[in-house]
Amino acid sequence: MSRTRRNFIRQALAAPLLTALGGAQGPGQRSLYFTVEEGDKLITGLREGNFRLYEDGQPVAFRLAEPESPAKVTVLVEYSQASVLYLNDIVTAFRELVDAAPEGNWYSLATYSQELQIHQDFTRMKGEIRSAFEEIGQPFWGEVNTYDAVYEVLEKLEFLPGRKVVVLIGSGLNTLSRYTMSEVQRKVEASSLNVFVMGAGSLLRGQYEPYLDAAGRMTLLQAEAFLNMLAKKTGGQAFFPRFETAYRDIAQTIFTMLASQYRIVYEPRARPDNRFHRLKLEAFDPQSKKQYTVRVREGWRWQ
Amino acid sequence: MKNSPNAGLGNLGREIVSVVACVALTMAPAAGQAGRSELPPEVRKALREAMEKSYLQLFDEAPRLEFSAWQIAAMRRIFEDAQKNCTANFRKRAEEHGKQLRREQEWLRANTGKIDDTERKKRHCTIQNLRALEAQARVLAEHAIPVAYENRKAKLDLIEKWPGELKKIQAELAAGTHVNRKWGDVKDIGFRELFPDQEKDVKVGQETVREMKLAGLMPPEVDNPVVKKYVTSLAQRVGKHSDLRVPLNVTVLNSKEINAFALPGGFLFIQRGLLEAAENEAQLAGVIAHEIAHVTGRHGHRLMKRATISSIIYQAAQVAALILTGGAATIGTYYALQYGFYGLGLVLSLDLLGISRDFELEADQLGVQYAWHAGFDPNGFIQFFDKMATREGYVNGLSWFRTHPPFYERMVQSKREILFLPAKDGLTVSSTEFDQMKAELKKVTAQAEEEEKERPSLLAPVQGCPAPEKIEYKPGEPIEKLCPEPGETSSGRR
Repeated sequence: MSRTRRNFIRQALAAPLLTALGGAQGPGQRSLYFTVEEGDKLITGLREGNFRLYEDGQPVAFRLAEPESPAKVTVLVEYSQASVLYLNDIVTAFRELVDAAPEGNWYSLATYSQELQIHQDFTRMKGEIRSAFEEIGQPFWGEVNTYDAVYEVLEKLEFLPGRKVVVLIGSGLNTLSRYTMSEVQRKVEASSLNVFVMGAGSLLRGQYEPYLDAAGRMTLLQAEAFLNMLAKKTGGQAFFPRFETAYRDIAQTIFTMLASQYRIVYEPRARPDNRFHRLKLEAFDPQSKKQYTVRVREGWRWQ
Repeated sequence: MKNSPNAGLGNLGREIVSVVACVALTMAPAAGQAGRSELPPEVRKALREAMEKSYLQLFDEAPRLEFSAWQIAAMRRIFEDAQKNCTANFRKRAEEHGKQLRREQEWLRANTGKIDDTERKKRHCTIQNLRALEAQARVLAEHAIPVAYENRKAKLDLIEKWPGELKKIQAELAAGTHVNRKWGDVKDIGFRELFPDQEKDVKVGQETVREMKLAGLMPPEVDNPVVKKYVTSLAQRVGKHSDLRVPLNVTVLNSKEINAFALPGGFLFIQRGLLEAAENEAQLAGVIAHEIAHVTGRHGHRLMKRATISSIIYQAAQVAALILTGGAATIGTYYALQYGFYGLGLVLSLDLLGISRDFELEADQLGVQYAWHAGFDPNGFIQFFDKMATREGYVNGLSWFRTHPPFYERMVQSKREILFLPAKDGLTVSSTEFDQMKAELKKVTAQAEEEEKERPSLLAPVQGCPAPEKIEYKPGEPIEKLCPEPGETSSGRR
C-alpha cells in the first residue's frame, strides 16, 4: 500500500471524529480561514470533498466547519507626521473601510507612529471606531514603527480565541522599530489570523519614484514587500491602489472576502518545534477536475 | 532732588501704609478661613447629616430645619473650597503620573536595545500602572468630583430656598392663581395645542434614526417579547394621555446605560439600564413621560441643528478617549461599569435634541402632568432622579448635570407642578406586569453580562503584571471619602 493511500485511509478514519466535534475546535486543533477563487470570482458553496489539505507534503485529516462568529476585526492605521504626504489616502481608506464594515463583528482601532496606541477597544458598534478616529487630531510623532506595531498587535490578539482579522492601513515604511522584519515574520507565521492591507502612498510613489535614488527605491520596495508578506503568510490580501477612489472597492472586497471565507479545522501533525510547517490546500471540482486558486496561509510556525 | 521737610514723615507714612497693607493682606485669607472655621462643629455635623438625606426627605424636612442663611453660606464655601482643593489635588496627581509615565517611556525608548526581557517586562508593568493611575486621577478631577459637589450644593439650595418656595406655592394654591401658570390647563391635556405641526417632525425623526443606524451608533435592541411588550404598552398608555399627535415608536435598546431618549416625531428609545434602575412603574412612567414631553413640545424641531450630529460623535469620543487613555481595560471597564458613561447616552440625546435649560424644565413640567394624567403617581419622576443623584451615583447623572438645568431647579419645578395638580385617587405606583417585566429583564441582563464577559479586549493588562492600582471611589460613597474637608482625614471626620 502506498504511503499516500495509507494517509488517505487515516484521513478517512479521522474525519468522523472531527465531524462529531461540530463547529467547536478541540485542544490542539487549528482553524484555517481561506477563500477559493477563480480569476476575480470568489467561489462559495464548496463541500468537504472539494478540498485536500497537506502539511509538510503529507495529507491531513480535516473537517469543514462554520466560520466562528462574530469575527474580531482590528483596524491598524499608520498615523505619523511622516505619513502627512499620503494622510489623505489613510483617512479615505479608513472611512471607506468603516462604511463597508458589516454589523455584527467586533471592531477595534489602533494607530501607530512612535508606538502603538489603542484608540478604541473591541466594540460591536462600528460607529465608535469612526468616532475614535475622528478624534485623534494631528499626528505628533515623526516615527513610523510599523514592525513594532504589527508585532504588538499580533501579541495582543494572540490570546483572544475565535476568528481574528487585522486590516492594516499604511505604507509599510518603517523607521525605528525595535523588532526586525524577520522577528515580525516569525510572529506572523505563529499567529492565527488573516491580515488584509490597504496600502497608502502608492499614488505618491508612482509620481516620485523616478526621482529617487536606488536606496530610496529599495526602501519603498521593502515597504511593499513587508505588507505583501503579512498578507501572504496569513491568507489575506494586500491592495495598493493607484487612485484614492479605489479604496471603496477595496474595502468592499475585503469584507466580501471575509464573508466568503471557508473554515477548515484540523489537527496539525507537527508538534511545537518552533519550526515553520508548510501547508498546501487544494480546492477542486471532482466532476470537471477543475482546480481553483486557494488564498490560504502559507503555513504555521508551531510555538 | 532735595528732600522736603515732610519727606521723613512722608516715608514714615508710606511705611505705615505698607505695614498696614501687609498685615491686611496676611490676615485676609486667615479671616476667610476663620469665617469658615467659625461654623460651629454641631452645625457642620447637622448639615453634613442633612447632605446624606435624599432630596425627597429634604423636601419634607427642609421647612423644619433651622439653619441660618449665614450657616448655609459658610457650608457652601466649605464645599467650594473642598471641591477646588480636591480637583486641584487630583489634577496634580494626574500630571505627576503623566510626567512619570513619559519619563518611563523615554527611558524605555532610549534603552530598548540594551535591556533584557525581564527588565522590559518590569518597565511595561510600570507604564501600564502609571497609565491607569493617570486616567483614574483625570476622570476623578474632571468628572466625578465636580458632579459630586454639584449635588451637595443643590441640597444646600434646597434646605435654604425650599421653605420659602413652599410658602409661595401654598399661597398660590389658596388664591387659586396656580391655574394661570404656563400649561396650567391640565384638564385639557390631549385637546390643547402646545406647538402645532408635530407631524412634520416624523420625517426628521425617521431620517435621524436611519443615520444613527448607518453610522453604527445604535446599540442592539432587547430581544425579549415580554420586556418589549410591557415597555411599549406602558409608553403607549402615557402617550395616549399626553398631547402627542403622532404615533409613538418605542424601541428598547440592550445597553446598560441608565437612559432614555426621544427623537423628533415620536421615536422613543429606552435603554435596558433604565429599566433595571427603575424601582417601580411610576418611576419608569415618569421618565417615559418626560421624554414624550420633548416630542410634544417639539423641542427637537425648535432647537435641533442637523450639523450637531458630528459634534455628538466627537463628544462621545472625548469621553471614550478619556476613559481609554488609561490604556488598561480595567480602567475603561471600571469607570464604564461604575459610572455608566458608556457610549453616547444622554450626551447624544440632548445634543441631538439641542435641549436648552428652558426646554428641559418644560419637559419636566409636562412629563409630570402626563404621568399624572395617565394615572401614575407623578412623584415617581422625582423619586427616580432622587435615586439617581443620591444613591446610584451622582456620576451616573453626569450628562444630566452637565446638560440639564441645576438639579435643585428641576426638583423644585417638578415638585411645584405636582403640588399644583388636582388631587386624584388610585394613582398607580407599581403593577404585577412591572414585576413580570423585571423578572424577564433579569434574564436579558444575565445574558448581556455573559456576553460582556466574553467581550474581547486589546487593552488586556500585560500578562504577569500585578493589577494596576486603583483610586477607589464608588457611587454612593460620600465625596468626603475622596476629598476630606479641611481639618479632616480621608478615613473619617475630625
